Parts: sequence; structure tokens; C-alpha cells
Amino acid sequence: MTDQVRQALADVSSAANTFLETTDDYDQLLATIARSCAGVLHATCTVSLIDDGGETITPVAMHDEDPAIVAAYPYLGQSVSIGSSAMRALREHDVLYEPNARANGYAAAAPGMRTFLESIGALGYLVIAMRVRGEMIGILAVFRRRAELPPLDERERGFAVHLAHLAGLAIANARAFRSAEQTQRLHDVTKFVDAVLENIPAMVFVKDAERLAFVRMNRAGEELLGIPREQLIGKTDFDFFPQDEAEFFVEKDRATLHGDSTVDIAEEPIQTATGTRWLHTRKVPLRDSAGVPRWLVGISHDITELKQHVASLRAAKEAAEAANRELEAFSYSVAHDLRTPLRSIDGFSQALLEDFGDQLGGVGAGHLNRVRAAAQRMATLIDDLLMLSRVTRAELKRSHVDLGELFRTSLATLQRLDPERRVAIAISGELHVSADPQQLAITFDNLCGNAWKFTSKRADARIELGSHVEHGSRVFFVRDNGVGFDMQYAGKLFGVFQRLHSDSEFPGTGIGLATVQRIIQRHGGRVWATGEVGHGAMFSFTLGE
Amino acid sequence: MNDRVILLVEDNRDDEELTLRALGKSKISNRVVVARDGVEALDYLFKRGSHANRPAGEEAQVVLLDLKLPKVDGLEVLRAIRAHDDTRLLPVVILTSSVEERDLVDGYGLGANSYIRKPVDFTQFLEAVRQLGLYWLVLNQPVPRR
Repeated sequence: MTDQVRQALADVSSAANTFLETTDDYDQLLATIARSCAGVLHATCTVSLIDDGGETITPVAMHDEDPAIVAAYPYLGQSVSIGSSAMRALREHDVLYEPNARANGYAAAAPGMRTFLESIGALGYLVIAMRVRGEMIGILAVFRRRAELPPLDERERGFAVHLAHLAGLAIANARAFRSAEQTQRLHDVTKFVDAVLENIPAMVFVKDAERLAFVRMNRAGEELLGIPREQLIGKTDFDFFPQDEAEFFVEKDRATLHGDSTVDIAEEPIQTATGTRWLHTRKVPLRDSAGVPRWLVGISHDITELKQHVASLRAAKEAAEAANRELEAFSYSVAHDLRTPLRSIDGFSQALLEDFGDQLGGVGAGHLNRVRAAAQRMATLIDDLLMLSRVTRAELKRSHVDLGELFRTSLATLQRLDPERRVAIAISGELHVSADPQQLAITFDNLCGNAWKFTSKRADARIELGSHVEHGSRVFFVRDNGVGFDMQYAGKLFGVFQRLHSDSEFPGTGIGLATVQRIIQRHGGRVWATGEVGHGAMFSFTLGE
Repeated sequence: MNDRVILLVEDNRDDEELTLRALGKSKISNRVVVARDGVEALDYLFKRGSHANRPAGEEAQVVLLDLKLPKVDGLEVLRAIRAHDDTRLLPVVILTSSVEERDLVDGYGLGANSYIRKPVDFTQFLEAVRQLGLYWLVLNQPVPRR
């Protein structure tokens, strides 16, 4: 062997060895085989692999000293036929050796091959089977086209056979490596899927399409059912669940496998070791490459607690509504029944005054008048408390409201009841809002009523409504120049029955501002008061969105 | 105007007496028939039961109707009045303690002519009774009798 031959063999050997350690040089290996072969034999060399079926080949690498020859070759990567007799000959004899093919008019070559031989002007050719453990996996083809060289001889044939043997080994190694690599990758993917499946907090199971027996169950599923997977695998629903339940599951399984999309079962009961649980389940068909459903994948989320929470929420809501209805009935009775005796107290006191006034005398009449005043005050208290409870119970219905109009209406009513008074009224600012008109009318009745009352001792009384923007939200205010209040009691103003003035000074029930606060809070707003003794009060509020 | 009967439907004796007193104080001298529950009120209007033999010509000209009544409540009485041909146009004034929105809506919905809340203050009550007597028995022209 010449050095060149030795070198070529070493190249292929080293490429084969290198290939055992690297992963992505399969193409490089095939190119090395073709180049080494072409270089030593001064010939055109192709490496082809046998296709599935064994009757055709696909050329995968080619080398010639003249790149134009390679560029003109149209079959790289394409399945081609070299003729069944040629294939058979190769299987039986390993070598097709035609050193003088052109001289013979390419008589032995298949038509497809003949075209190629003609196109490169091949003088002769050598085709050698590459084998792995006896099985032919491809062919190494050598074409002599340069006329200045002698025909391919026995020595060159021996070299080519040796090279084909080495190439076959290298390709086999590469394939084994690639397969091992794929196995490893598959193993990694499986591990990843396993980790996900085993740790996902939902039951995931797989059944075979034919028997609907479990082939897989994850840990969440084992825990949910209370059955270890060893007992589940290979068994069907009928082995674990009541007949009707199993039938339901299987019916859904079949529907899933026959349909072509996911089946969603919003709620299904399942018997487990710890009693009935409720599942939200999704079932998916898994098909093979031919489209035949092979597996059924099920994913179930335990919604038992969720259902319980929903049920208890519903129960709580119903209880609250019942309590509200009861309160309403109670309020109705209070409105009707508590007022009736007051009417008797007041009416018969008046009757006594009228019919027996002369016998009662001044003191007696005075006492009876106090009885009447007390009865009337209690009636007012009842009315105010009813208002407070009604405000709390009534549904909030927002619509467009002009606060200026509510303000004017409230004050007009007060003026009508107290025609002697002269009160200056001022309105300014943006006053259009979205709010409950009835509830805001109550608010203004209270705020204006207070302002009216607490300015009653002033000749130059003034009541003002306005608005301004504070920290990005609109603030409305009702301001008066009445007796005002001490800021240290500002917090008490909005409490029920909290009053800052004696009844003889300014009458009132102490419920009005509590009602105002409740209305504003129900609107998502805030109400507060500022004032100074002798210098009036200002009630400010926001209304939320 | 004396031949015009007022039917007062009221179960509370105190309220009954106070209403009668207020009517008297207002110089309304019409005959007042008192029915103490809804059944009795309907018996009077439709000449049934204990009122089966009441003389003709003593038809009520106005009904002062409380809502909270034993047996048949005020709204039921009103419904029966409006459902019957003879009393369909009879003026009915609801006179009650309640100002529940629901009662107001139901009362007017069933065809009440007026809705008055009995004030606790007898002075105000007197004024209310005086005005409603004046209106329904003097100013208002009743439907002609057939």
C-alpha cells in the first residue's frame, strides 16, 4: 500500500472513531468516506444508503477533484434505482466490477445508472456493498473517468473493498450513537414528563383505547382515589367504582376516543377511599401516526372543596337574605305598631286637655303637654330610625343626579315650613354626579335641615353648596355660618343618638348624620365635618365611583 | 250631606275613638259606620252577613281604610271593592300608620283614591281628618247613583 492509501484508510478510521465521540457529524463522516476514496483512486466516488424496502438507494455524499462534476450530479439526497439485478448482484457478490464499462457500452449498468455514467464519461466503475453485521446498508461507488489513468485494477478494487468495510463500520457506529443519543433524549423527556405528572396537583391517568384499562396513574390520582397505582394498572373502572359511575366514565371515554377533541366534564362524582369527591375532568384522545386513537388521557381536578365553598356561600347568602326579609318585616311592624299607642297617648292627652282642662289647672295642663311632646318626639325617633334602616336595606340605584337641585328642593321645603326666616343660599362648582337620587335626597334633607337649624339664631344666615377637587377626587360640601361645633367632638357627630346640643337648644334625634354617613359609605364615599364654635360648620363628602 | 255614610274600617278602638272625635271636632256630622275588620267592612259594603239586612240608601260615600286589619287586610278589602261593580268607583282613602313604599305603591296600584298617614300629633291628625272630610264629603262630587 502506498502512503496515500495508508493515509486514506487512516482518515476513514479516524473519522469513524471521531464519530463515536461526537454527535452531529454524521454528514461529515459520509463526506470523509467519499473524499478519501476519491482522493486515493483519482476517481469520482459516491456513498449511498439503502432506502427502507431495500430496492432503491439514496446517494448521500459525493466527491470528485473537479467540483463541477459534483455540482452537475442531480441525485444527491434523492431516492434512485440502480436496477433490481444490480441490487441482487451486490447482495450476492458484494462487488460490481466493470473496469471497461464504456468499452462494453455500459452493457451491465441499469438505465438510470447508464445515464450518469455517460454524463461523466466514466471509463469503468466499481460498486461495493457496505455491510453491518452482514446486512447491506449502503453502497460505495467508484467511477474512473480520466482517460490518462489505467482502468481500475485489482489493487484499487482491494482498497475500495477495505474502505467500504471501514465505512460500513463507521456508519454503523454513527447510527448506534445516534440511536443511543435519541434514547437518552427520550429518557430525558420521559423524566421531565414524569416529574410534571407526578407533582402536578391534579389526577392524571392514561387508559388504553381498546380495553380502557389504566396504563398510567400519577401520585395525585393515587392519593385522590386512595388506591396505589400497582393495583390500578391493567384494571378498568369497573374494578373500582360503582357500576353506574364506571358506566358514566366509560361512556365519556368512548365519546372522547370517537370524537376528535377534548371532552370537558364540568362536574362528576367519584367514589374514593374517603367518600364521594367531585371532579372537573378533561379527557383527550391520543392517536398514533395513522390517526387511530391509541390512548385516552384524563386530567381531573378535585373540586369538592370548591363546591362546598360555593354551597356554603350560597347558604350564607340565603341566610342573609332571610335575615333581611325578617328585618324588613320587623321594621314594618315597628313603623305600624309602635306608632299606634303613641297616637293614643297624644290624642287622649289632647282630649283630656280639651274636655277637662278647667279641672286640670295650669300645672296639670303643663304635664299633659309634656306627655304629648314626649309622644311626638318618640314618633320622630321611630321615623328617623326607620329611615336609617331603610337606607341600609334599600338597593343602591345609581343614575344622574344634580346635587344643586336636591339642595334647592330641601331648602325650599324648610322655607315653606318656616316662612319667616331669611336665609342666603349659594351654589357653586360641579354638582352633577352618578348616585342614588332617593338616598341623596335624604342626605340633603339631613344636611340642609341641620344647617337650617343651626343658623336659626342668626339674622344673616347663609347656607352654601359647592364642590372642589382634592387629591384627585371631587369633594362636595354643605357649609353654614351657624353655631358650629368644637372639633374635638367631630368624631362623635356621625354616631347614632350622638348629639352635641341639648334638645332645648336645638331639637333633634341624633340619627340624621348617622343616616347621611351610611348613605355616603354605601356609595363608596367618605363624609367628614369641620367647624368651629360660633363660626359655622362644613360637611364634606365624596361619592366613590 | 248627612245622608252620606262614612265607612271607617279600623280595628284599634283608640284610633276609632280618636277618628270619631276628630270628625266631630271638624263638624262632620255624617253617620259613621265602623267595621272592625276586613270581613265586616266587605259585609257592610256588599250587604252580607251581619249587614245583610241594612236598609238601602245607607251606601257608604267614602271608605276610610286602615291597612293592618284582622282576618282580611286593608289591601284585600280594597281589591274586593275595586273588583265589585257596585263599589268599583267608591272613593277609598287609606288611613294608616305605614309609610312603607311598598304599601303606598300597592295601595295606589289597587286603586286607592288617597293615602294618608295618621300623624301621632293629634292636632295634625285633627287637621288631616278635617281636610279629608271637607274634601270627600263636601267638595268632591260623587258618582251619580244608578
